[in-house]
Amino acid sequence: MVQRVSAVYMLLFLVFLLFHFVLTPPHSYQAWRDWVRSPFVGIAASVFFAALLAHVWVGIRDVVLDYVRPIGARVLALALLGLCLAGAGAWLVRILWLPRP
Amino acid sequence: MLRPENKRPVFFNPVLIQMPVGALTSIVHRVTGILLAAGIPFTIYILDLSLQSDQSWSRVVHLLDAWPFKAIAIVFIWALAHHLLAGVRHLLGDVDVGSGLISARRSAWMVNLGGLAVGLLAAGALL
Amino acid sequence: MRFSIFRFDPERDKKPYMQDFEIELEAADRMLLDVILRLKARDDSLTIRKSCREGVCGSDAININGRNGLACITNVRELKEPVVLRPLPTFPVIRDLVVDITRFFEQYHSIKPYLINDEPAPERERLQSPEDREKLNGLYECILCACCTSQCPSSWWNPEKFVGPAGLLQADRFIADSRDRATRERLDDLNDVYRLFRCRSIMNCTEVCPKGLAPSRAIERIRLALVKDSL
Ligand code: HEM
Ligand code: SF4
Ligand code: SF4
Ligand code: FES
Repeated sequence: MVQRVSAVYMLLFLVFLLFHFVLTPPHSYQAWRDWVRSPFVGIAASVFFAALLAHVWVGIRDVVLDYVRPIGARVLALALLGLCLAGAGAWLVRILWLPRP
Repeated sequence: MLRPENKRPVFFNPVLIQMPVGALTSIVHRVTGILLAAGIPFTIYILDLSLQSDQSWSRVVHLLDAWPFKAIAIVFIWALAHHLLAGVRHLLGDVDVGSGLISARRSAWMVNLGGLAVGLLAAGALL
Repeated sequence: MRFSIFRFDPERDKKPYMQDFEIELEAADRMLLDVILRLKARDDSLTIRKSCREGVCGSDAININGRNGLACITNVRELKEPVVLRPLPTFPVIRDLVVDITRFFEQYHSIKPYLINDEPAPERERLQSPEDREKLNGLYECILCACCTSQCPSSWWNPEKFVGPAGLLQADRFIADSRDRATRERLDDLNDVYRLFRCRSIMNCTEVCPKGLAPSRAIERIRLALVKDSL
């Protein structure tokens, strides 16, 4: 379910992104930064990344459940995955929302 | 007398078991999903660089122009295209569109070839 | 016609091996099973399970050129040579083409394959309207041959936990039955990352089912019912 909902949102966002880059590609740092920092894009992108991380959590968890049989290794793999995703999330919050010099 | 079960052999060799098109679409969906997931840190890194300063933005622009990057980009664009198309096929299947065997076979071919077509298109555009 | 057949005799062989056979087709040889039985007449150690020889009992399910099917309803003249015959993948081999499908039946029993209805029984029988009976078409015909489950990648990786296509088809058969009162419990039982949700809609099951059934669709219906249920 999480995977389906996130998939639909990501699909829409990626199409939006594609159109943006094809129709009005950003030519300067200023333009790019202002675009990303605009509230609409900022929120849409944040939701996208949240959806992405949730999607990948379910996705890779499923792969692990299929191929990693020993229970210890499985727990380890899932813990590692969670850690990586949490790290990615924190990094993204920093990029998208914290002030930059 | 039968031997205990654990002494019995098992025939299991995926290479010798026939894989219909749908199975190919599905396994590639999985492989591309893993590939894309593995690419996330790099994507975030590029995003980070592109938003730090004027200089780092130009570095990203240069990086994207280098041919090793383009080669990788083509692989990722193919992967994304396949994953996306196969994903849409899944979602349609969930609401019972195209889940008959014949239409599922046809859509599996469309996904496999469509993904490759987008990959080739990207190669044409980038190289 | 040339054949290459998986051989294993637990009394004699340490390891299975492939044995080549060559036989002229006769006019009466229509189905693969006919030819296997003639081969067996020559070499009576060659072992296959069979009974009805008309696609009803499901006992002669084997892997034919990489694809699971029933030998008795597989047209032998349409097969590519050499015809490679192996036992159903992933099941322990008892001998040659005969496998032990206990695990398959355990999964089948786990979905409670019988009507559950605690309401007092009516005087004669529990009636069902023709429309409700219609809903069981495409479900009740399963002969439990295990062709589907043995070709299902999700069942390969989690055979003890994933119910598998045949079991889920039967689960849907009872969920769809208007006389059954345990729909809720059945859905709850299946609402699990493993039991139902290992299925990735690969559709190998529907590809190989010799009865032309579509377990993947039944699974989809259960999934949909679960979503509706949770809303
Ligand atoms: C761009 C980043 C994406 C990544 C990193 C990603 C990653 C993954 C991974 C690892 C899986 C698990 C594969 C499996 O279990 O076989 C998966 C499954 C899935 N993905 Fe994605 N995905 C992405 C985008 C998308 C998009 C845009 C869609 C929408 C069309 C989508 C639709 C799906 C669906 C429907 C599944 C479930 C497949 C199943 O049930 O077997 N994905 N994804
Ligand atoms: S669904 Fe088809 S392949 Fe599966 S056990 Fe039933 S009859 Fe055999
Ligand atoms: S559709 Fe589901 S049950 Fe059928 S073969 Fe694929 S994974 Fe197995
Ligand atoms: S012998 Fe009964 S199904 Fe083939």
